[in-house]
Amino acid sequence: MEKALSKIVEVTSDPYAYVAGLKDRTQKKIIGCFPMYVPEEIVHAAGLIPVVIWRGNESVTWGHAHVPAYDCGITRSFVDDAVRGKLSFMDGMVFHVRQCLQVGEFPLIMERNVKPAYQKILYLPPIYKGDSIKSFLLGDLESFKGSLEDFTGKKISDDNLKESIEIYNENRSLLERVYEIRREKPEILRAREVMQIVWSSMLMLKEDHNELLRELINGMEKKSVEPKKDRIKVIPVGCLCQTLQFDILDIIEDLGMIIPDDDLYVGSRYFANKVNPNGDPIEALADRYLVKTPLCPTKGVWDIDWGVEVIKQMKENDAKGIISIRVKYCPPHTCYYPDFKSKMVEEGVPEVMIEMEHEIISLEGVKTRLQSFVETIGGV
Amino acid sequence: MGTEYKINKLDTSGVGPLVDKHWNELREAKDKGMKIAWCSGPMFIYPYATPNIASHFMAGYAAYCGGRGMADEVLEAAERFGEMRDTCSYHRLHTGMAAMIMNDWPVSNPQVILPTPDLLIGGRFCTEMSHYMEAIHRRFGMKTVTIELPSARSRDDLPRLEKFVTNQVKETLIPAIEEVSGSKFDEENMRNIFRSWKEACIIRNKCWEFFKRKPSSWTLWDYGVSIAPIFYAMGKPESLEYYQDLLKQLEERAEKNIYAVHPDGEKYRLYWDGWLPWSFLGKVIRIMIPYGAIPIAGRYPWEFFSHPDDIDPEADDIIHEWIRLIYTSPNTLSYYDGPWGGQDKIEELIETYSIDGMLFFSSKTCRMWNLGQQEIIDNIEKKYGIPGVVIDGDMIDSTMFAEDQMRTRIEALLETIDARRK
Repeated sequence: MEKALSKIVEVTSDPYAYVAGLKDRTQKKIIGCFPMYVPEEIVHAAGLIPVVIWRGNESVTWGHAHVPAYDCGITRSFVDDAVRGKLSFMDGMVFHVRQCLQVGEFPLIMERNVKPAYQKILYLPPIYKGDSIKSFLLGDLESFKGSLEDFTGKKISDDNLKESIEIYNENRSLLERVYEIRREKPEILRAREVMQIVWSSMLMLKEDHNELLRELINGMEKKSVEPKKDRIKVIPVGCLCQTLQFDILDIIEDLGMIIPDDDLYVGSRYFANKVNPNGDPIEALADRYLVKTPLCPTKGVWDIDWGVEVIKQMKENDAKGIISIRVKYCPPHTCYYPDFKSKMVEEGVPEVMIEMEHEIISLEGVKTRLQSFVETIGGV
Repeated sequence: MGTEYKINKLDTSGVGPLVDKHWNELREAKDKGMKIAWCSGPMFIYPYATPNIASHFMAGYAAYCGGRGMADEVLEAAERFGEMRDTCSYHRLHTGMAAMIMNDWPVSNPQVILPTPDLLIGGRFCTEMSHYMEAIHRRFGMKTVTIELPSARSRDDLPRLEKFVTNQVKETLIPAIEEVSGSKFDEENMRNIFRSWKEACIIRNKCWEFFKRKPSSWTLWDYGVSIAPIFYAMGKPESLEYYQDLLKQLEERAEKNIYAVHPDGEKYRLYWDGWLPWSFLGKVIRIMIPYGAIPIAGRYPWEFFSHPDDIDPEADDIIHEWIRLIYTSPNTLSYYDGPWGGQDKIEELIETYSIDGMLFFSSKTCRMWNLGQQEIIDNIEKKYGIPGVVIDGDMIDSTMFAEDQMRTRIEALLETIDARRK
């Protein structure tokens, strides 16, 4: 277990070096997929390596010549990394430009300044009513597949796709198992380790990650942990499309709270819902995208309530409160938040919101807020 | 001593009563037992053409409130409800209005409050348009229909996007409007709107010809406040009368050599990108005028169907016709809103209207027009040698408008133009 964890920490500590090394080792092309909904299976089936684009940990410098300071952290950090040549190991990039307005900025900036050999724009539609949504989505996915075939010069067969779907589904099952064990023994991993486990899945070849997870799970199943009864269970929610600052997770735990489950993108949202391995694989990928839960405010779902879903998750985990992590300048989350908060108040669920910025965050301020929060829900 | 420049605004006072009347009709509609639809994006046309349902175009109303100085109080109400300033100020204007209605909060100007809707139509032209529609749905719970309207990143994508949008409109929007209004969608009514609108657009384009004159007879601000009569108040007889009057004024000015800037016309002709700063039009022009600078053209004000010849009221499929105008017509606003298309449009405007410099208005809360602005400036500067700067602010939120910052950047732009003229 320790060996697997150590590998995961290594991968996520310097994702740039890891992915560049992966390219050298495999001699395969790397395709950066901007989070959250690019179907990586299609890239994998094309014989390429999909990696999910991440937020770096350096201050934005050159990037501000291309995007305004009032764009969110991952937008500015990714553009900064790209224009500074830090992502030169990426042979291609894929952007779902209907996810939020800021993603729409990337294609032109990349085309002018980075010139990836392959660039694809996806228009994945929100989950609105009517048959035309799915029909358009299928067309978009077929167009994606076709563009990768043009790039590689090789056809992607249904069998190729099904094989990739199987590998990705296995990764989802294994991550689910990690989460199951954590629910049973929440002290078994630090919250930052859980996030690193999911993040490493976004960076590694899925076959390699599956192997690593099997080793990890084996160790986790065997390991016995002394439960700490005084720990208060909380569920972190939000932080759409980017990694949470690990320091925040550490503060949550250091203050006597424990995280048995989460509703984070670099968390349970990434591996939620499997792809049907039978039938037409493109249709199966479309069907996975069209599942409304976990609810994501970028997908236009307005007929179910995010707050209700999260309260359900909280109760299932016997948790006592919710910690919303809102990324500064993330309109999808920010527009939803007042109603989410109202639902928490209406249902009497303790909730606190932490605002996360890319460069500057007052951890002392975060600590104070979380300290007050834990006191209100019965901690010390 | 330098020239003392002064603005000589066109008389656009006719637009005030026209838009007041438009919104008053919406209030009266409820009293007459009609249903009300709140619409984001360009989908407002469909309820507009249907009997027994009045149509509220949300972005137009936000601009109206900004222009009338009524926005701040509502934005404050939104914050009181829990909205945060990161979000689109048009979103906050409507959620603020919803909060005032729900909580019965007092309002100093009752004109700002509109009747609550029976139907919400979310035209997801920009992704945030859906967020505010969804938020209002969560708060009021009325029937909602949402239509995805992707902005095209490539001309090749336009036909499939057009087909997708048309299918959605026919599949979900028209039936919802008919259900709520209890009336059949009226094709002939829509054709009549198009007929009258086309006439107004023809005259509007004649007015645009006066922007080509050097010195110019009017400013972009004069035209900016005149958008409503050819967009959300389209098809009304008074729209046509308004533009006829505008054209008459411009012809008189041309005949008498009267310019938009006293005493002898503008020194700098500027392109303005992005939203117009509805709440701050006066403040912005007062920064420019002492230098003899005026805004002349902008891709947003030009997106309202520049080619009237292309508007076909007799099209076989009038429902599709509106979508065609947005997507595959020569003035495809779906493409021009995006960064590549935007650049094409800006180049066209620069060449047509002899532009000296570019101001890119970057809204801190609506990023729709911000996409690639810095890249576009760089590309155009290389191609035409015309400098550009980004100025940031907001369309209606006064907490985000910094006059001194704007003045400094405008001065820098004008100095760069001067340096290149030498």
